[in-house]
Amino acid sequence: MSLDIKKIPAESFERVHIDSSHAERITKPSLSFWQDAWLRIRKNKAAIASIFILLFIIIMAFVGPMVSPHDAETQTITHANLPPKVPGLEKLGIFDGVGTLAGKEVDLYEMKKVDTYYWFGTDGLGRDMFSRAWEGTQISLLIAFVAAVIDMVIGVAYGGISGYYGGRTDDIMQRIVEILYGIPTLVIVILMLLVMEPGVIAIVIAITLTGWIGMSRIARGQVLKFKNQEFVLASRTLGAGNGRIISKHILPNILGVIIINTMFTIPTAIFFEAFLSFIGLGLQAPDASLGTLINDGYKVIRFQPHILLYPSIILSLLMIAFNLLGDGLRDAFDPKMKD
Amino acid sequence: MEKILEVKDLELSFHTFAGEVKAIRGVNFDLLKGETLAIVGESGSGKSVTTKSIMRLLPEHSSEFKNGQILFNGKDLTKLTDREMQKIRGKDISMIFQDPMTSLNPTMPIGKQIMEPILKHRNVSKSVAHKEAVDLLRLVGMPKPEARMKQYPHQFSGGQRQRIVIAIALACNPQVLIADEPTTALDVTIQAQILELMKDLQKKINTSIIFITHDLGVVANVADRVAVMYGGKIVEIGTVDEIFYNPQHPYTWGLLSSMPSLDTAEEKLYAIPGTPPDLLSPPKGDAFALRSDYAMKIDLEEVPPFFKVSDTHYAATWLLHPDAPQVDPPLAIRERMKKYPGSRYYEGTEGGTY
Amino acid sequence: MAEKLLEIKNLKQYFNQGKPNEVRAVDDISFDIYKGETLGLVGESGCGKSTTGRTIIRLYDATDGQVIYDGVNVHDKKSKKDLKEFNRKMQMIFQDPYASLNPRMKVLDIIAEGLDIHGLVKNPKERKEKVVELLETVGLNREHADRYAHEFSGGQRQRLGIARALAVNPEFIIADEPISALDVSIQAQVVNLLKELQEEKGLTYLFIAHDLSMVKYISDRIGVMYFGKLVELATAEELYANPMHPYTQSLLSAIPLPDPDYERTRVRKSYDPANHNYQDGEEIAMREVTPGHFVYCSEKELESLRALSSSK
Repeated sequence: MSLDIKKIPAESFERVHIDSSHAERITKPSLSFWQDAWLRIRKNKAAIASIFILLFIIIMAFVGPMVSPHDAETQTITHANLPPKVPGLEKLGIFDGVGTLAGKEVDLYEMKKVDTYYWFGTDGLGRDMFSRAWEGTQISLLIAFVAAVIDMVIGVAYGGISGYYGGRTDDIMQRIVEILYGIPTLVIVILMLLVMEPGVIAIVIAITLTGWIGMSRIARGQVLKFKNQEFVLASRTLGAGNGRIISKHILPNILGVIIINTMFTIPTAIFFEAFLSFIGLGLQAPDASLGTLINDGYKVIRFQPHILLYPSIILSLLMIAFNLLGDGLRDAFDPKMKD
Repeated sequence: MEKILEVKDLELSFHTFAGEVKAIRGVNFDLLKGETLAIVGESGSGKSVTTKSIMRLLPEHSSEFKNGQILFNGKDLTKLTDREMQKIRGKDISMIFQDPMTSLNPTMPIGKQIMEPILKHRNVSKSVAHKEAVDLLRLVGMPKPEARMKQYPHQFSGGQRQRIVIAIALACNPQVLIADEPTTALDVTIQAQILELMKDLQKKINTSIIFITHDLGVVANVADRVAVMYGGKIVEIGTVDEIFYNPQHPYTWGLLSSMPSLDTAEEKLYAIPGTPPDLLSPPKGDAFALRSDYAMKIDLEEVPPFFKVSDTHYAATWLLHPDAPQVDPPLAIRERMKKYPGSRYYEGTEGGTY
Repeated sequence: MAEKLLEIKNLKQYFNQGKPNEVRAVDDISFDIYKGETLGLVGESGCGKSTTGRTIIRLYDATDGQVIYDGVNVHDKKSKKDLKEFNRKMQMIFQDPYASLNPRMKVLDIIAEGLDIHGLVKNPKERKEKVVELLETVGLNREHADRYAHEFSGGQRQRLGIARALAVNPEFIIADEPISALDVSIQAQVVNLLKELQEEKGLTYLFIAHDLSMVKYISDRIGVMYFGKLVELATAEELYANPMHPYTQSLLSAIPLPDPDYERTRVRKSYDPANHNYQDGEEIAMREVTPGHFVYCSEKELESLRALSSSK
């Protein structure tokens, strides 16, 4: 403890009056929850990278088939089974159209006298894999987004009603969920696809049929957590009706968790669609999704690995990016991480 | 008296998303053998952080020792490795937390939890540890200790759980016991029992206690010495009588006068205006000046050093500088000072001038 | 005494009624609250004091009993309009300053909620002006209106909660442990504010707390609760000077005061309900021992209490 007493000019000891309202001032900039979350996610490199990857894939899914000189559906038998060839890169010894034929490395483009470029190669029917991969991505994304949105709407509504009204309503609704959950999803899906015509709508229905249950459970838990919070009670004592409490107090507070969960349902839906297509229950030719493309590719993996490779890379990137983004959002929204 | 723990110029910061929070800004105090030192302050004053830094319980990725030493029996705790620290934690220094619900493991019988530190830190057999655990439970006033050894935390009430937590903390006869708001979560009648128990045990085993609380009533009950913290610094330190009957720092004045007393009927309570400082950008000079009715120009410019009031009593306020004008503390404080020989408002006859 | 604003008659609030885990949170309590007074309600956690407050304001439907506000039983089935009117007259301030403000809303919208629900303002400009006025009433200002709750300190948040309750011009406010989560230096700010508002607006308070020294300071009368029962009710002065129920005595003797000399001599009394030795069939009820001082006791205890108080 320092005890040396410094000489200090007398006027320093003049009393000052400080306006006490000064101390009420808040110096920090005002940040809403979403702005705060955005600042957080900006620091998360993996999440930012994921956002860019996803944007790229989504843009390519729409732009890809247009920029390719070849149509996805046009079958050119003479151009069948060509490996990838990209202008420019071919000089580096990669993507130069060289593939194996009967154990020997040959330039297949030269052999088949093809003077155009197939960036991702072609399949057994001579269709351009570049266009097909991106069209497949487009379909897969479409199915996943639609399924996730439907899951979200049904799940939040069901879980929200169940949790908010509680009591008998909750008991009955939860028993129904348990029964639904007890039936193996795959069995329902197979039965359903036998009845319905396979296609995008059928797959969306198949995915959402039981997919909303997870979301409904999360929504119910969140609503239960918030409905007895003091700010909700305060609103009730002010005379607020259920509509106001749900829309102004509960929904904005559970939105974060719902978004995170949706971020995780999208890749699950993509994967499930790919799985259904892979086991032959999904889309039927000539429609392509990432799942059907992978299914086609895996049959010829030993001879034409490029047919499998590109859809698989896109699928993997989608899965990883959505999951990393979901993780990033969870960290950004989680109030426990608050300082 | 022998010093068992010395905290010297401790400075510690947290690195948060919003920037560097200077949670402790130069804290000095000693803990003597066998005494109870109470640290009082409001939330965010740095009282909990100070003791957590003694135990090295702060998250390593976000907290940083900027400066200073924590000397425990001459050893600097800030320099120890994690492994060396583990040997001290729970054995030489142990800690009681605020919430007895969460400081016990709900899936382990309480007997096992009490035996754990004994088995870990002392080379004894299981049967000896078991016997000692039973003795500890008896010591903290648990009826039928043998039978209760096998029970789980949820089978006990809040007050009993806190007794168990104390038993665990005392298992290795620690030299220092840090109690971080141990009674805040309890009801008054249970709080009274726990405080009595702690005082009783201290006499029996001669442990030094650092008692953190924001409740001045509890401080008056348990403490030998009191350190008042504000804005990451100790602003006043002294014996319990000095702090309660002869306080010198305007913040201490504010704290003491904002409590209503049971026997007088004040028309209006004294309220310290404003809110505690934001340690992201601590104010220049005396952190309390912005809320003080006694602020002087210099308070806004320079941090006050500690001025000596007596051998045991120091306060960091420019009001104590010999050139500073003499001010009258608030009425409630003058009332208190009347009881204290040595203050200039003393009305007793024991002599004593200022 | 002044006119009664609120009569609570045989109020009961049982949870899980009829099931093995039935909890009698509030077990047949009756008391009156007079216009303009502050009635303190103290007791330890789990004694039912908060449940009493929440049942009065209809956050819970009472199991049995009546809450008569201005001559009308508020627990009767009523129209939406009547209920809304009732919600305007009776307001509540909550305990946890962190949980009682919606983290996603701006202060402006939080405080204006009552105004919106009851249609008390016509346009956004008037709404903003009214909110600013309320903010100034509680010692905050215009700048704070556009901020979010998490940017405020505990004491400021509690004042925001008060401003929200005041927005609808209530007559009666239930303050449910409004200061127990605050620091000592901030408690006084909030208590002073509540007192000032009471004088200015003629408010009536039900002040629920476990901090007995603050309760004594703010209350005119105090009720002590123990396990769902009201055990003693008297004026604040009388209760502290002359506690009669052994539980009240034990509670008062347990409070530590910021006075080391007093603490060195304080003797704590403990309370054991078995010491009453009530016989079977003995009727235990709230009985008036001295004027205005009610104690939950048997006929026999009443006599000895009367004898004791007259000998003093």
